[in-house]
Amino acid sequence: MSTETLSQLDVDRTRGDFHYPEQHTFDAGSGLSHATVDYISNVKGEPDWIREFRHKALDVFFSKPMPTHWASADLENIIFEKIRYYLANAQRPTRSWDEVPDDVKRTFERLGIPEQERKFLAGVEAQFDSEAVYSNMKKALGDQGVVFVGSTDGLKEHPELFKKWFGKVIPTGDNKFSALNSAVFSGGSFIYVPPGVKVKHPLQAYFRINAENFGQFERTLIIADEGSEVMYMEGCTAPKFETATLHSAVVELVALKGAKIQYVTVQNWSANVFNLVTKRAIAHEEAEVKWIDCNIGSRLTMKYPGVILKGRKARGEVLSIALANNGQHQDTGAKMIHAADETTSNIIAKSISIGKGRSSYRGLVHIPKHLKGCKNNTECDALLINSTSRTDTYPAITVRGSGNSVQHEASVSQVSAEQIFYMQQRGLSEAQAMSLSVNGFVNDLVREFPMEYSVELKRLIDLEMEDSVG
Amino acid sequence: MSESLLQAPLAAEPFPNQPDWFRDARQQAALRFDALPRPSRTDEAWRFSNLRAFDPQDFTPARPVGLELTDSLLPLSLGADSHAGSLVFANDKLVARTRSAVSEQGVLWMSLEEAVAQHPALVQRYFMQSDSLFGSAKHLALHQASVRTGTFLYVPKGVHVEAPLQSFHWLAGSGQAVFPHTLLIAEEGSSVTFVDWFKAHNDARNLACGVHDLHVGAGAQVHYVSVQDWSRQTVALHSNTTVVGAGAKAVHLSLHLGGSFARSESVSHLRGPGARSEMLAATVADGAQEFDQRTLQDHGSPDTSSDLLYKNALYNEAKTIVAGLIRVAPHAHRTDAYQKVRNLVLSAEAEAVSLPGLEILADQVRCSHGATTGEINREELFYMQARGISESDAYRLITYGFLNEVIERLPENSLRVRLQDSLQARLQGH
Amino acid sequence: MSLVIHNLHARVVGGQQILRGLNLEIEKGSVHAIMGPNGSGKSTLSKVIAGHPDYEVTAGEVLLDGVNVLGMEPDARSRAGLFLAFQYPVEIPGVSNANFIRAALQARLAAGEELEATEYYGDLYKEMDRLEIPRNFTARSVNEGFSGGEKKRNEVLQMAMLKPAYAILDETDSGLDIDALKVVSAGVNALRGPNLGVLVITHYQRLLDYITPDVVHVLVGGRIVRSAGPELALELEAKGYDWIRDELSEAALAAEPVLA
Repeated sequence: MSTETLSQLDVDRTRGDFHYPEQHTFDAGSGLSHATVDYISNVKGEPDWIREFRHKALDVFFSKPMPTHWASADLENIIFEKIRYYLANAQRPTRSWDEVPDDVKRTFERLGIPEQERKFLAGVEAQFDSEAVYSNMKKALGDQGVVFVGSTDGLKEHPELFKKWFGKVIPTGDNKFSALNSAVFSGGSFIYVPPGVKVKHPLQAYFRINAENFGQFERTLIIADEGSEVMYMEGCTAPKFETATLHSAVVELVALKGAKIQYVTVQNWSANVFNLVTKRAIAHEEAEVKWIDCNIGSRLTMKYPGVILKGRKARGEVLSIALANNGQHQDTGAKMIHAADETTSNIIAKSISIGKGRSSYRGLVHIPKHLKGCKNNTECDALLINSTSRTDTYPAITVRGSGNSVQHEASVSQVSAEQIFYMQQRGLSEAQAMSLSVNGFVNDLVREFPMEYSVELKRLIDLEMEDSVG
Repeated sequence: MSESLLQAPLAAEPFPNQPDWFRDARQQAALRFDALPRPSRTDEAWRFSNLRAFDPQDFTPARPVGLELTDSLLPLSLGADSHAGSLVFANDKLVARTRSAVSEQGVLWMSLEEAVAQHPALVQRYFMQSDSLFGSAKHLALHQASVRTGTFLYVPKGVHVEAPLQSFHWLAGSGQAVFPHTLLIAEEGSSVTFVDWFKAHNDARNLACGVHDLHVGAGAQVHYVSVQDWSRQTVALHSNTTVVGAGAKAVHLSLHLGGSFARSESVSHLRGPGARSEMLAATVADGAQEFDQRTLQDHGSPDTSSDLLYKNALYNEAKTIVAGLIRVAPHAHRTDAYQKVRNLVLSAEAEAVSLPGLEILADQVRCSHGATTGEINREELFYMQARGISESDAYRLITYGFLNEVIERLPENSLRVRLQDSLQARLQGH
Repeated sequence: MSLVIHNLHARVVGGQQILRGLNLEIEKGSVHAIMGPNGSGKSTLSKVIAGHPDYEVTAGEVLLDGVNVLGMEPDARSRAGLFLAFQYPVEIPGVSNANFIRAALQARLAAGEELEATEYYGDLYKEMDRLEIPRNFTARSVNEGFSGGEKKRNEVLQMAMLKPAYAILDETDSGLDIDALKVVSAGVNALRGPNLGVLVITHYQRLLDYITPDVVHVLVGGRIVRSAGPELALELEAKGYDWIRDELSEAALAAEPVLA
């Protein structure tokens, strides 16, 4: 890839901080009730089974307590009655950017999406508040039987496939926010890759929150059939509002025998967003699932991508980077549930806490009894930039039976004053020196990322460091 | 509080000359025990723990043992070859003590009830000063309401006690509950080694609920060893709080051998620059034993260090939990904290849970933890077999070596040897 | 009385074939050396004879004084009189050397029989002195934190204590400086005698300056391709292994006509 292309791909932080006046045709209003659920279901013209599914999920949501006995008390500051749960202009995305309304198109143009699509993507879906406004995929993929549509189209057009896996990887009652998503979900992607099809270029989704006091609840289901391969990338932004915005997605991945799924997230939420996301995959025999997860921005992120290693020799991986700046709490981690022999998992998590930022790692590695030859390796490293920063690590590792091998290591370090001084003496500014140190800290991980994203990530880190040094 | 547990200790008053504050505190503790809920699994401090393990209703405060039994226990209460004195308790009653020259150095070395009568001010200052940090307030209340005896050891400023002092707590009978207490105070610049041996006379189901607190003054050095060798049927709840002053060093080694459900909680508060704590444990878990270990390395001052090494060897359907947290307070800069948990799983049914945690709020710290779970290294096994050692002997020897690494951290030779004997004896038959 | 290796074929379990019909006889009282290029199967041979679980024998036998040891567990082979000095001695944390060697000796006694402690330490100290091993060595964990030289001395010490009938020294010279090499060789030479057969496996001739072999074999491609007196080692040292390979391929060409 040429450097020229790379520079065009840079998405900087300030680029996301703008919004256009709202003009919504569909608005479920503020607050959450069974009427809200009916409104969404009616607007979407959904079949009865999904309406019922939503209503049941809402009851589960109401019945579940906030997980504040272990998670941040900041969750109490989410005022569910003030949030708007569904905002959209139209029900169907267009296949041409020309048909996207001007202000929305301008939004995505400023974020660089159409350009990226032309350059290197196999397909793009762009979601604006509750619904996708644009969705397109290279024709050749469609000819091979690849499906890449929104969740509503997915459940209507491919009911057999959809019903088989929807809500199976992450049951409604998994946690309070998966229940919330199950009740009011809208948007997100449904992807099916037929057996043996290897999608060479990434499929990209872009999630944009434009409205204030809004909740975005996209729902993504990716099924990679036997021996197929797919990479999915998502980016997220929102403008800075004074009030809290909620983003609560559910992402389910199914990698059938020998399939490979890579799921890449670079989130760059503004500091008013509660980002509470449940992501989980099932990996069948010899399948491979890799989550690459970069968490920058947001007020509170809680996200622990997981893999259920269901088939023999399945492999799961989570590579994650979290950067917590002033007023931010990145509560991230990974879950690896080993459920078959000779399954292996790898978790590498790096976090950086700046100013009064706090980053927490929570991990779960579970190897139940009677399994043989399972392996897990976990490394989590934290970097503290200032004396007011905070970092926590809370892994839980359960291993039953001999014949398995698990190792976990965690360390905390900081950018030393000596290091910074040394670089300053060579002529770098303090921010540049900090940025260099932070990039060095995450470098071995970033090397694992797709090129396009490692460049973007580096830019985002530079900007964060500029802000923090002032 | 259950009738069975509280009635007897208050009726048969073990503290004849107790001050009012002591009596009041005990009664308050009894009320607290009644009021407090039982720990629940949703409590993070009890995550993964088997809460159905015991019901206090099943036990009564231990009845004294007869003379004949006492006579048979004494020859078994030997401990390290070279020691500076022993106290022997049976069912929460002091039954014997060896002559000790330490009193000539001004060391106070006596039972808790003697200390309450003779040195009430000292006891009041240090006795049960810590709240539970592991969701065990109810168990601490049970201990305080029911405690009848224990060890009181006070080492004055600058005094060095060369040989180890030791206490033996025997538990005999069935359905009996004991509440051994340890209160060790090492004043500035002093040093001492103390060993608690918790031993079972028979293989019955009993309850032990102990509290073991150490106060290590500035520049002092304390080695505290506890050998938990209760019967395999016993529910054992042991709570330790160690407060380490500036420039002081505490080493706490636990050898966990007995119990059906054994929960041990250990906190090191590092208070004062240069304070250091080493927390060591070696556990042999077999049958259906469950060892639930919770630790906290609490760095409250700058320039403090801590080092934790917990090792578990698991056989059969045994289960171990090690939940260890390193906490570094906002001003505790230049903290150096380390935590290592290693599980050696020797059967297909055993379960090892590791919960190593870090909470870091300070700068320029060096904190890390590691947790590994695995089986016997095949190359070690082959090397041993290539020297003619049978597979089962090699397994035992490698397991012994794995746990002995913890014991090797103790400087005192005769004590080390005795602990190695206990470990070796425990591994026989595997 | 000899250690006979007959038509030995072996491979990595479920993997590549390494030994392809190896024949060798080591008489008691003699010292044989095996030399060979990297990857020829030298270390595999020692591990297969000792019974390492990573390898499986696909054909052939190993007879120790007439008894086939291939069906035996590694520990039974050791007690039958076979000793392997490891190329990479294994570290065993927490187990002291004294404890380890005692356990190995104890394993050779009949059930109920106990090793006599004073006698044991007497023997141990005598052998340690001979190998210039300091006394604090007994309390250290087996091979843990040992230098290369210390590890190899420890192997020879164990050999002296366990008094095998046949000893295989696997690259005992690797990682040794010249002083350590002399000490280790002197230790081995002291054990030479009518009751011990020795197989020295080495890549370099250097070790054979100190432990003079009666016979030198060359191992290539999992087979012994040449056997001669000690002068063969010098020739290999001077000319490398390539000439043997060249001769071999010529011989192979001559012996097996190429099929069209």
